[in-house]
Amino acid sequence: MELTDADLIARVLVDDDQHAFGELVRRHQSSVRGLLRQLTRTDVSLADDLAQETFIRVYKNIRSFRGEARFSTWLYRIAYNCFREDARKRKELVGVDEELLQAEHDPQTVDPGLKHDLMHALNLLPLHERTAVVLCCQNGLSHDEAARVLDIPLGTVKTNVLRGREKLKRTLAAWGPN
Amino acid sequence: MNAMIDDEILDRQLREATPYIDDDGFTARVMANLPVAQREPQWLRAMILLGLAILGSGIAYLLSGGFVREGVIQLSNFPIWLLLVFAFGCGLVVGAFAIIFAIRQTPEVRDLARLRF
Repeated sequence: MELTDADLIARVLVDDDQHAFGELVRRHQSSVRGLLRQLTRTDVSLADDLAQETFIRVYKNIRSFRGEARFSTWLYRIAYNCFREDARKRKELVGVDEELLQAEHDPQTVDPGLKHDLMHALNLLPLHERTAVVLCCQNGLSHDEAARVLDIPLGTVKTNVLRGREKLKRTLAAWGPN
Repeated sequence: MNAMIDDEILDRQLREATPYIDDDGFTARVMANLPVAQREPQWLRAMILLGLAILGSGIAYLLSGGFVREGVIQLSNFPIWLLLVFAFGCGLVVGAFAIIFAIRQTPEVRDLARLRF
């Protein structure tokens, strides 16, 4: 019988069971590292460093997890905060993404070899839309859960997902055969 | 890809385009970097509890004005079978608490029994 996340968290809280925490890390490492790779534009090394920092923060603060939201939602929120703090340190502000988006949307700069690469299309989105799309469409979070993770209003999440999806569709359609 | 991609198809393709990332030693690196728990040693907790119990008993004895001593003398006049029943009852109660505490402290037993405390 496989233990639930709640069972594992209880073991960490009551018995300080590091094996249980290791199982939580094993379970969620792929989705957290995947999210951070999307946010860091596939900078694997940076994403893994941030993922490691995320899990260490989770361990330190696990007593503050109240179980009101899913564990994965709480985890993504910490991962997103780690990314934001790192981005602030590196002075990578959201505005930079907008400039990159403008540059990368220029048809002449798009690599024709990547026409059907959905992940590349995703990377063309500005940070706020990319994050919302990755959380809601890729990782299956509800709009409400994504709003908690990103600490922004629900309406903003919906708008970002809608705009992100539309841009992805347009990009993919433009890449398609004529 | 055509222009008429609906949300469901797009979401499915996004999910399928995301490969599972192999652990590849990641969990081990995280575990190696976890902070060491700052918990007081178990023997210290036991000694503090024992000390408090002895201190409390001593204070209670002094404040009782001989009441406890008289109680013990009266208890010694009870028939032996009654003392045995009393001791057995005390043992059962203490044993029951010990078992409950042991279950709470043993995750494997707790999961096996699916008990919620």
